[in-house]
Amino acid sequence: MAIARISHLSYWYPGAEEPALRDVSLLIEAGLTVVSGPSGGGKSTLLRVLNGLVPHFHGGRIAGGAEVEGLDVVSTPTRRLARAVGFVFQDPELQTVYDVVDREVAFGLENIAFPPREMAARVEEALHAAGVDHLAGRSVRTLSGGERQRVALASALAMRPRLVVLDEPTSQLDPEGASMVLDAVRRLVEQGRAAVIAEHRLERLLAHASTSFVVEHGWVSASWPDPGPPAIRSVSSRQGPVAWSLAGVTAGFGGRVVLDSIDAVGHQAEVVALSGPNGGGKTTLLRLIAGALSPMTGKIERRPGRIAYLPQNPTALLHRPTLRAEVSLTLERAGESEPPEAILSELGLLAVAGRYPRDLSCGERQRAALAAVLPGRPSLVLLDEPTRGMDAAARTALIALVSRLRDGGSAIVLATHDSELRSALADRVLMVSAGGVVESESHSVPA
Amino acid sequence: MNARAVAAWSAACLFIVLFTTNPAYKALVLAAAIASLAAGAGLNRMRALLTGVVLIAAFATLLNFISAHLGATVLFELPASIPAIGGPYTLEALAAGLSGGVTVGAAIVAAAPFSLMLASHDVMDALPAALSRTGAAIAASLNLVPSVGASFVQVSEAQRLRGWRPRGPRSWAEVIVPVVLSSVESSIQLAESMEARGFGSGPRTALKPSPLRRYDWLLVAASAAAVITFLTAHAAGWAADWYPYPALSAPQLDVASIAACLFLFAPVRTWRSLE
Repeated sequence: MAIARISHLSYWYPGAEEPALRDVSLLIEAGLTVVSGPSGGGKSTLLRVLNGLVPHFHGGRIAGGAEVEGLDVVSTPTRRLARAVGFVFQDPELQTVYDVVDREVAFGLENIAFPPREMAARVEEALHAAGVDHLAGRSVRTLSGGERQRVALASALAMRPRLVVLDEPTSQLDPEGASMVLDAVRRLVEQGRAAVIAEHRLERLLAHASTSFVVEHGWVSASWPDPGPPAIRSVSSRQGPVAWSLAGVTAGFGGRVVLDSIDAVGHQAEVVALSGPNGGGKTTLLRLIAGALSPMTGKIERRPGRIAYLPQNPTALLHRPTLRAEVSLTLERAGESEPPEAILSELGLLAVAGRYPRDLSCGERQRAALAAVLPGRPSLVLLDEPTRGMDAAARTALIALVSRLRDGGSAIVLATHDSELRSALADRVLMVSAGGVVESESHSVPA
Repeated sequence: MNARAVAAWSAACLFIVLFTTNPAYKALVLAAAIASLAAGAGLNRMRALLTGVVLIAAFATLLNFISAHLGATVLFELPASIPAIGGPYTLEALAAGLSGGVTVGAAIVAAAPFSLMLASHDVMDALPAALSRTGAAIAASLNLVPSVGASFVQVSEAQRLRGWRPRGPRSWAEVIVPVVLSSVESSIQLAESMEARGFGSGPRTALKPSPLRRYDWLLVAASAAAVITFLTAHAAGWAADWYPYPALSAPQLDVASIAACLFLFAPVRTWRSLE
């Protein structure tokens, strides 16, 4: 029996001329439903229809119908649908209301005036279902990303919804955190619940999925995702002179040492990948190489020239009215004559060049930030988790762009958990962990 | 610890310190607030707060000393032709400034248990049902505060590496605009998440209702006793006010008013036992 039914539904965001969803008709039944498709294709919009955030929270215009658990989505407010549909968002930090785990899980129950005497048992049940019983009473701020996201899952489960919807729940997580979340989702389905998940890391889920939809340009089709061709390994054919070096560098914040007496070196026309667990010091090392962080001791040298730096949070860069203006700003400052369209085309962003960058989807924003820092001929390129939230096609475009920059003589350093990106691009891999940096023999090191 | 009991104590401290002009009673309230907070939160956690209080109190004192050229005891004099700061500098203005500084300091320390000793959900649980939704929204937004500071550091660093340099107030737009936009986006995402979990459905319940226990009632009683005793002493004319101008005099003290202030030391015992 169908838990959700969407019939000929089209949806336009406020002020948009083109619909974000076009004549969508689908049924969602028990089991695991996987939703895939390129960034900006409409996956998040489709998922938000299921709990009424579209159209009730986002506004806009809707045509056609949608029903979840017998409730008409268009006429039922989200707060009422919340009892039938649990929702887990992308960013674990931006869905936390309280600072203690069990209070956080109880938030939804408190909102629907659930009897306090039965609430503790319900919270315990939800924590158990998400595999985080041991975190009850902990401060949310002390949790890792994977733990936080499983607490978010427990918060959704506390309402005992028939359907749980997860919108790229692992896009902000390292591989370990992602595994934790995806294992929890798999367990839910094995326990007989229905789950709909939009995800780029499909390999762990597809074996357990009962249905799959691909969403592209607002059209939804019931088909299995095409994993795309495997990334072609592209390594440096020549290694140039030293572009940057660290000698006996110790660095950290607020008196805490993050990297201790490290030595490292990178060359022109070379891609160095930084690997290692979250909190191991990858970002600190990138900031040291960039000159954004001063070392406590030791010496850092880099060849003169422009530095292109992509921070972990791409929105830190975006503030111009259009994406084209973002790219032009960087080119003007660098004194380069390249047209902005060149890099926009390379990253598949030409169609959205005139749009406000912050209106783009998560994956498109990431590419927009790359376009904003990488135009022209930077001599040193530092990228912090560049494939976050990216689909396979965007990753392929990024690999081609980085290869071109490297072949043009740029020295490149990537901090990444993405083993496919590392395998495709890295000439050398440095493991950054527990305050130290060690050269890795293999490209398939665990992230 | 119940937030309503803490609120009763804070309100009693604030009432006395703002009601009286007598610096001796103000100083007693300040001492009670510092001692109570030290018992509940520990001196280490208070360090930053105390530094801030000293700086603010010093500023209030200095401001009055510089701007109020009143009083009989002139310490020194600047030429009256100097705008704003010219004129006599008096002992009375200094004393009045000190009294003002103690007032500000006592008020800050008396309100500090809400940030140093209570979690946001403790405060929210203590709110009346009619304000529970507002409280939840405030608790949620407080969770976003630390991310704004982190965002400022990240944005300014990213823009600097992209070639931005601070050149006058207008140039800061390149940092401030992304920080503000990111904060707004974070708030919208949080609101979306709250909506998806049924926020706004109607009256709320709480996972762990926080009842007033015996020591909370004792604190409420001590706070009420402090206010009633002080008001009675003032009405009877015992709790004399203090005026530094035109000539400085020592503040008068009476036993009932001192006793009222001493009631405010009640948390020293109860909050320490909770630790």
